Amino acid sequence: MKRMLLAGVAAFAYLAGTAQAETVTVFGPWLGPDQENVEAVLKGFAKATGHDYAYVGSDSFEQQIRIDAEAGSAPNVAAFPQPGLAGDMAKGGFLTPLAAGTDDWVRENYAAGQSWVDLGTYAGPDGADNLYGFFYKVDVKSLVWYSPENFEDAGYEVPTTMEELKALSDQIVADGGTPWCIGLGSGGATGWPATDWVEDLMLRTQSPADYDAWVKNELKFNDPKVVAAIEEFGAFARNDDYVAGGSGAVASTDFRDSPKGLFSSPPQCYMHRQASFIPAFFPEGTSVGEDADFFYFPAYAGKDLGSPVLGAGTVWAITNDSPGAHALIAYLQSPEAHEIWMARKGFLTPHKGVDTSVFSDPTLKKMNDILLGATTFRFDGSDLMPGGVGAGSFWTGMVDYAGGKSAEDVASEIQASWDALK
Amino acid sequence: MDNIAGSKSTLTWLVHISVAALVILWLIPTFGLFISSFRTADQIATNGWWQSLFPSEQNLTLRSAAPETQVEQNGLYVIEGQLFEDGAKAKISVWGISSRDIGSYKPGDTAELRKGGNITVQVDGSYRMESSEPFTGSRGSRVFVTATQPPKFTLFNYQDMLFKDGSASGMGKAFLNTFTVTIPATIIPILVAAFAAYALAWMEFPGRAILVAAVVGLLVVPLQLALIPLLKFHLEIGIGKGYLGVWMAHTGFGMPLAIYLLRNYMAGLPRDIIENARVDGATDFQIFVKLILPLSFPALASFAIFQFLWTWNDLLVAKVFLIDATGQTTVMTQHIIELLGTFGGNWEILATAAFVSIAVPLAVFFAMQKYLVRGLLAGSVK
Repeated sequence: MKRMLLAGVAAFAYLAGTAQAETVTVFGPWLGPDQENVEAVLKGFAKATGHDYAYVGSDSFEQQIRIDAEAGSAPNVAAFPQPGLAGDMAKGGFLTPLAAGTDDWVRENYAAGQSWVDLGTYAGPDGADNLYGFFYKVDVKSLVWYSPENFEDAGYEVPTTMEELKALSDQIVADGGTPWCIGLGSGGATGWPATDWVEDLMLRTQSPADYDAWVKNELKFNDPKVVAAIEEFGAFARNDDYVAGGSGAVASTDFRDSPKGLFSSPPQCYMHRQASFIPAFFPEGTSVGEDADFFYFPAYAGKDLGSPVLGAGTVWAITNDSPGAHALIAYLQSPEAHEIWMARKGFLTPHKGVDTSVFSDPTLKKMNDILLGATTFRFDGSDLMPGGVGAGSFWTGMVDYAGGKSAEDVASEIQASWDALK
Repeated sequence: MDNIAGSKSTLTWLVHISVAALVILWLIPTFGLFISSFRTADQIATNGWWQSLFPSEQNLTLRSAAPETQVEQNGLYVIEGQLFEDGAKAKISVWGISSRDIGSYKPGDTAELRKGGNITVQVDGSYRMESSEPFTGSRGSRVFVTATQPPKFTLFNYQDMLFKDGSASGMGKAFLNTFTVTIPATIIPILVAAFAAYALAWMEFPGRAILVAAVVGLLVVPLQLALIPLLKFHLEIGIGKGYLGVWMAHTGFGMPLAIYLLRNYMAGLPRDIIENARVDGATDFQIFVKLILPLSFPALASFAIFQFLWTWNDLLVAKVFLIDATGQTTVMTQHIIELLGTFGGNWEILATAAFVSIAVPLAVFFAMQKYLVRGLLAGSVK
């Protein structure tokens, strides 16, 4: 009875169109400084709509959201770092489809709009496809970080093709330096930085269609094409001359510590391939754009694959339906919601209608240009694969590979674990 | 007799030495954490805490002042200054101006800059740049020095954690919330378990042995198994996520150990006393309150310490049963995780947080540790 009454009240408020103020609870993966950023956006939401908000972050978001959803104590809105997980939740009936017309809005206002709609569309419990997820906050992963002054000291030029990149790596070795810092360590998630490498190299050696097939397992994991991409990664990570500390240090170095080698004296390495968030782990006082800069992880000139970009992002979905939750998703479509975080740190957006002059530093604008200029944009494959693979055997497999196991063996094991999930 | 006495004393020595070794083994990581809590993130990343205790030789990348500070003296453009921050007493052994060659000059030498002009660096880090052309660019030149620096520690981490805007109120709230969780979650299981333990130790009833076996059996059931079903149950009966739920959960999860520990202790109490009391006409309740409870105090206290430490340090149960989407019921452990950042990389905060959160358990432990020892030994040594 009480429930009906409440539902009635909610419906009435909704129909009457009055902004019935409520507290919208939001659950996301951001903590620390990132939490301040997301709360700044939510504050803007509260100001614009009159609703209140409560944000909780967790470093074990993936587990926590499952517990809350299963038990029925889910927040109103959750920001998933992995679309694969959101898809699973939609299938389980824990998500509410977004308001009608959101898909058209995304198509029109986001660069490569259709691909964002596809990434946010999942099958519901009844099997029907609906738009459940709205992408807000995107990361670009195809970046190589370096110290411009170290390049200048040694007289190196920023490479624009993969061939040049490999030639530069050899050049650095010939000069007595070490080109790369690679670290796969990340506690329970050890191995994920290598999955990004493999995905990036997959996009640079195979067609986007093959990449999509691979992510869906229509192209087997132990297909020669995938094995070749893993071996491409091995050409960097398993070459003792190429990696700071030797290839043995790759799996044991923490990914948070590995970029610090760029800034040590003398430099332990000259280049570091990592996503746009990594400056948070540069030594204190490092000025991005001056002490550290990045270039696009280049594509092979010899292969006609354009300039593919690998990225990731958070997908916002409604886990506990309420008018306030829909109001929040609607607010996230406003340029203002994007500009608040843009003016802070670590935020990129495919939104075409925002004022890019508000970016807090020019490097973010440069990254956003890479994002907007991509001929192919593909989402981080491991985030799209089933959790047991993308956040399991793919990670551990890459650690095994870095430790000396053959690419075929590793790929076959990952495929076997995928088969076991079916 | 001498022989026996002699062997006893060597044995004592052996015990003392192994105790000392174990204590040192346990203290080293704690000590390292303590030292690390006074160091900045960059210091932690560059060298180990054991090196930070002594003056150490380090390779540093420093930067001269920006070209805009240059002055013109007798037709030369000059920038003068000090490479080290104020107050840093370091001694430069060698230095360089290129990252490819960081040790090519001695203090007092003059190096020619790639962009024109030259630079002289002294042993204490003071430098002078001269050029006939004005220096250009937005930043100074990099100077790579190899210098011996005295140990340097900072209270910044503690300040950052305890007194920073927003962080202070968050910490205070989390601290109070943790107490709100731990105190009832310690007292309730003791109350219930003491009654149960008495019944299982001294009251004759059919099925007692099986009941004891079941309790022992429950000790091995991992609590993770019960998390989601229990939370669903809580939501169904209307407790929801909150303090009541987390107290109940801690009570339930702590109960098997509590009953088992207390029953074993109570069963070891002298039978004569209890039988005498029975003969004198005392009821079970009187025996329990007047005899058993005072006599079992060491066991009760030792279990209280266990339960208190476990609930104080708990994150899993709190996350499942307490912390809801409003964020008002955060606890210390959760707050520390929030401080660690999205990727959990702030080691310095971790070290500091460990010492802030350890303070209360340490106080509790030292206040009650004589009971802990008595309670643990009571069953084993007669």
